[in-house]
Amino acid sequence: MRTLRILFAKELNATLTSPIGYTVAAVFLLVLGYTFSLTLFATKVANLQYIFHQMYVLSILLVPVLTMRSFAEERRSETLELLLTAPVQELSIVLAKYAATLTLVLGIFALSLVYAVILDRYGEPDWGQIHAGYLALALHASLLVAVGLLMSSITENQVVAAALSIGIFLMLWFADSVSYLLSPPFDSLALNLSLIGHFKPMVSGSVFVSDIGYFITASMLALFLTTWRLAQR
Amino acid sequence: MTISAIDAAPSDALIQTDHAPAISASNVSKRYGPVSALEGLTLDIHAGEVFGLLGPNGSGKTTFMRLLAGYLLPSAGRLMVAGHDVVGDSLAVRRHIGYVPEAAPLYRQMRVGEFLAFMARLRGVPERNVKGAVERIVDRLALSAVADKPTRALSRGYRQRTALAQALVHDPDILILDEPSNGLDPRQIIEMRQLIRSLAGRHTVLISSHILSEVEKTCDRVAVLLNGRLLGVRAMADTPDLEAWFLSLA
Repeated sequence: MRTLRILFAKELNATLTSPIGYTVAAVFLLVLGYTFSLTLFATKVANLQYIFHQMYVLSILLVPVLTMRSFAEERRSETLELLLTAPVQELSIVLAKYAATLTLVLGIFALSLVYAVILDRYGEPDWGQIHAGYLALALHASLLVAVGLLMSSITENQVVAAALSIGIFLMLWFADSVSYLLSPPFDSLALNLSLIGHFKPMVSGSVFVSDIGYFITASMLALFLTTWRLAQR
Repeated sequence: MTISAIDAAPSDALIQTDHAPAISASNVSKRYGPVSALEGLTLDIHAGEVFGLLGPNGSGKTTFMRLLAGYLLPSAGRLMVAGHDVVGDSLAVRRHIGYVPEAAPLYRQMRVGEFLAFMARLRGVPERNVKGAVERIVDRLALSAVADKPTRALSRGYRQRTALAQALVHDPDILILDEPSNGLDPRQIIEMRQLIRSLAGRHTVLISSHILSEVEKTCDRVAVLLNGRLLGVRAMADTPDLEAWFLSLA
């Protein structure tokens, strides 16, 4: 546990001292603020659903920028050799990087709470739906960070890591569209893999265990594969 | 096969001890697909000696060091470090070693003192002892002038010394240094050599080099590797002309 804490502190420090995190946060909030203002003035409805969908899309594009460095940079600069020759379990290294990046993403998401507060000040938003929306975003972020780390662990080129991550996220996003082209049982398999298919109900306020299970299982699988990849020597 | 069986030089028998070796490789091989980086290496390294691995680039020196450090796993054979198997008890092995990779990697965003404290914690130094351990190693390796500097701002000599400091900060039994003189100027090479010699006795030191004179002046014993195979092992005291011996093997 001490090792995990030490590694987490190091990762968080690296994240907070890098300009990448701040750039991503700035782009994220700029686009979100623009969308929120437009939507609010156009619809005059105290609802964050549109914002949640915007955050879903933005995080698919921006989380790979945060995760691409994780292992690729350590491998390129050969500091991974220091970590893997210290008396540390590979799982601790992976969990520390996962927790630090997820903390940053959730921190950026948390800044969007200001929109909920604005809605509450001038309208009567459905707080149950807002809570479900943030739960969906947190689970979504967990999956994206875990898969992003996996992609970063298989290459020392950061751009390749980011491109692979975005490619996988887009394929998962559109998996439900592919299902119409497939015959049973592959159609239901593709449907169940769909990212948006599990995100949408939660954002609408309908929280199903199956949807939560999808995000948690996919995150755990990606973390397991990253640990396995690190252990391959 | 023991070391004396590999090298018929009678002098080797003189420096063999009854104690268990600090490092013991038995028929160790490492393959990357069809490519063999190390083939059937058998070698014992005694506690407290400075042992040199000599060979051209691509001879298997770095692969052997990475196997010892736990960064790679052997494809075949048995490798024991400080009495622990590198495959079955990798964490225990890593607690006993300090390792400096060839590139002397450092975390660029950290300051020297911060980096050493991080590595000390990672290597299991108790929290209450971290400050003292860092101060001691900074003092020992004359790093106080750069202790507050970011590692990215260090000269090559200080980089190398900082890398050595991170390997020593937890006071390991065994020190593995991959090309420690790489990129250093003549004065820094002399300082590094003196430093390594000062570690002998208390630590077992394994260094790799492709520079004959460096090995000659630094090591108690030397092994020659070529194309992943061990060609011979000799005590420096019994090798008046290392160059001639090396050429006779390679």
